Amino acid sequence: MESLIAATENCRYCLMCRHVAPVGHVMHDEALTPHGIALVVASQKRGLLTWNAESVAILYAEPDAGNCRAHCVTNQPLPAAIAAVRAQVAREGLAPTVAYELRDRLREQHSLFGTWQPASGRSRTVLFVGDEGHNLRPDSTAAALRLLEAAGIGAIPVGIGLSSGYFASSLGFPALAKSLASKCLDEIRAAGAGRVLVLSPQEQFTFRQLYPERLGVAWPDDVELADLSTVLTEAVNRRVLNIRSQPSPAAYVDPSHAVRVPERFDPVRLLCARLLGQPPSELFWRRERAHPVGSTALQFTRPDIAERLTRARLKDATARGAVTVICEEPATLHALEGHAEACGVTVVDLYQALAGALC
Amino acid sequence: MVPRGLQFEMIRSELAEIVGDAHISTAETDRLVYATDWFWLPQMWLDRGQEPRKPDYIVRPGSAEEVSAVLKIANAYRIPVIPWGGGSGSQGGALSVFGGIILDMKRLNRVIEIDEKSLTVTAEAGINGKQLEWAVNEKGLMLPHYPASANCATLGGYLAPRGTGTISTKYGKAEDLVLRMQVVLPDGHILRTPIVPQHAAGPDFFRLFLGSEGTFGVITEATMQLDYQPEARLLRALLFDDLTQAIEAGRQIMTRRLDPFVIRLYDPRSTASRIRKILGYELQGAYMVIGFDGDPDLAALQEEKAMDIIGRFGARDLGREPGEAWWNHRYDFYYPPQSLKLPWMYGTTETVTTYDKIERLYYAEKRAVEEGFADWDIDFIGHFSHWFHWGVMVYTRFIIRNPPEDATEAVRLHNRVWNTAMTAVMNHGGMVNEHHGVGLKLSRYMQRQYGDAWPLLERIKKALDPNGIMNPGKVGFGF
Repeated sequence: MESLIAATENCRYCLMCRHVAPVGHVMHDEALTPHGIALVVASQKRGLLTWNAESVAILYAEPDAGNCRAHCVTNQPLPAAIAAVRAQVAREGLAPTVAYELRDRLREQHSLFGTWQPASGRSRTVLFVGDEGHNLRPDSTAAALRLLEAAGIGAIPVGIGLSSGYFASSLGFPALAKSLASKCLDEIRAAGAGRVLVLSPQEQFTFRQLYPERLGVAWPDDVELADLSTVLTEAVNRRVLNIRSQPSPAAYVDPSHAVRVPERFDPVRLLCARLLGQPPSELFWRRERAHPVGSTALQFTRPDIAERLTRARLKDATARGAVTVICEEPATLHALEGHAEACGVTVVDLYQALAGALC
Repeated sequence: MVPRGLQFEMIRSELAEIVGDAHISTAETDRLVYATDWFWLPQMWLDRGQEPRKPDYIVRPGSAEEVSAVLKIANAYRIPVIPWGGGSGSQGGALSVFGGIILDMKRLNRVIEIDEKSLTVTAEAGINGKQLEWAVNEKGLMLPHYPASANCATLGGYLAPRGTGTISTKYGKAEDLVLRMQVVLPDGHILRTPIVPQHAAGPDFFRLFLGSEGTFGVITEATMQLDYQPEARLLRALLFDDLTQAIEAGRQIMTRRLDPFVIRLYDPRSTASRIRKILGYELQGAYMVIGFDGDPDLAALQEEKAMDIIGRFGARDLGREPGEAWWNHRYDFYYPPQSLKLPWMYGTTETVTTYDKIERLYYAEKRAVEEGFADWDIDFIGHFSHWFHWGVMVYTRFIIRNPPEDATEAVRLHNRVWNTAMTAVMNHGGMVNEHHGVGLKLSRYMQRQYGDAWPLLERIKKALDPNGIMNPGKVGFGF
């Protein structure tokens, strides 16, 4: 943990990721940038600040979406460092009240957004549905499973409503995150899976990077991890999955955490193009500079900032003339839909639309 | 500094009425974060756990009218106002040395117009440099100002200290790219400069605000010249045995107007240290990267002519790959832990002068610093990176790896090194700065730098800002 926190010593005076820092961009506040938060941590360490409601609010304003690190030439693990500092703060009882409420909910239910349903059955390929996939957008998940079936990929759902540990880690509860990680891995093992598909870049990041780096939990060597959009794109390219184009313009919204999984930028756009009959139009905040919308703990710890981020993405779309946005990731869709009507934008769920356009 | 109490709260209320309560902060944490920019001294001060001088208020205006109203309040109460862009200045220009109001300009971040016919962009001054670049890139255009700080600096921050970017040798400094500005004067008056800078309709007061670093007013909007993104960018690296020969080769290329977009010439010590560390090349001599861009045929011809000149000086052509590697990694130098970082002491004593003086100046400064601080095992490195028809800028740096742990001692040593370096620079016909600006760091040298012209600048300052509220302590002006 201390080795992760050391990143704040490098980041406290480094301004090189400012251009992609999402919260700094919407809040215009120096303290709410990677550099600002790292400087707050470093200053607390030096006795210049104490952890109190005001400074803790800044500590919990970082989204843990990976934008800073995705642009860091020296790969400073600042989001992990901030999670580690939050863990110290949480241990001292100084975290925001809502963080403890969420911890308790995760302890009791293993889910933040609803319920966990233990998986059953065995399959070499499984779809990790997760907490947000199951509880926020069950129809998207059902559509994803229909698409897999149509592509001839037999997969059963696992992790149905189960939190991966991302939120627990991000909020500063690594022990809880570790126990959730164990639960996830137990379900995957129990299913006999050799290949795990995920709906969300948040989960891919969590399994691939967060587990080993923050929790010391290794992803099993013999289990392949893949993003659903990539698998479906391969099936479309092999003409195993046939989609009827439904020509209509739409702007693609890269989901939260997309910057952490850059290899999915192109495949998911190919799926959109197959559905729309043309490539989706692009937002200003796209691909490697995509800002997060939903799928981070900000929605609980700093809902004011989370709302601004969501509205900023919708404004980005309308400023570019888009009246329809399209996305595949459950939590991002959920967040966008919460504000879409007010912004005059229609949200299209890519997997549901694809499932409805199967030939 | 405004003492906490009734007056403090009265002023806060008035400011909040202008910008809205969400856009003003007096929180302890915010005040600490805004207590340092990229100047080594305040960073070191915090690093050693010392209490910094903090602003009283952080105010984020959303329009020129709001800036104007804030300045009127500041005048009424005689409170300092310090404009703040990205906080990336290395000279302490954004420090609130007398407390007061930090005017964070980042809410003013709109692109107002991209004129694809005249190749201009008009944007608010608080827009992030890289975000502005992305916006014009979408039209196939570029704002040819590529400072290392582009990821964090703002458009206003490009202009206020007269910044220079990596490709300035062809495209000019930020001040050469600006056509028009909107400025709020210290008394709150909002003005726009004439529509273009090149005319004969009276004196060029426009340039007063370039380099004033917020002491003459606040830049709130600017129209900048754009260029088409180049079709070709040809880079190559060369190795000279001798720095003198390399400078002369650069001079000949510039004075023959071969129009390179970059000539980056590292002195032998930089070649051995920075080039090895960042690019991994073990070389001895003076490493030069030269680049030509634009139309592929023209760029190739310019490069060919330049290589003819370079060939006469016996430089080794290292080929394209190391030149391109430098281009692709040129900002890697600024990412910690690869960058210079605390607890080291370091400073960039960059300067500019004419070709007839530059080499003597460089060696004089090097000798003065190295001999004067040999006990501290000081390292002195440099590169020549912004070339003009008449001269060149040298980006010299000193590094002390084991500075005093005591913060006060560190300040004293730091300032002694600077005094030594700047004295050598001015004694040999150099300017105290080429592109980082003056800020607090170089403020004390301004009278000597300007000599008999200094009273004129003081009179201008007094006329524009009679209460001295604008960024006091900077650019040679007091409070």
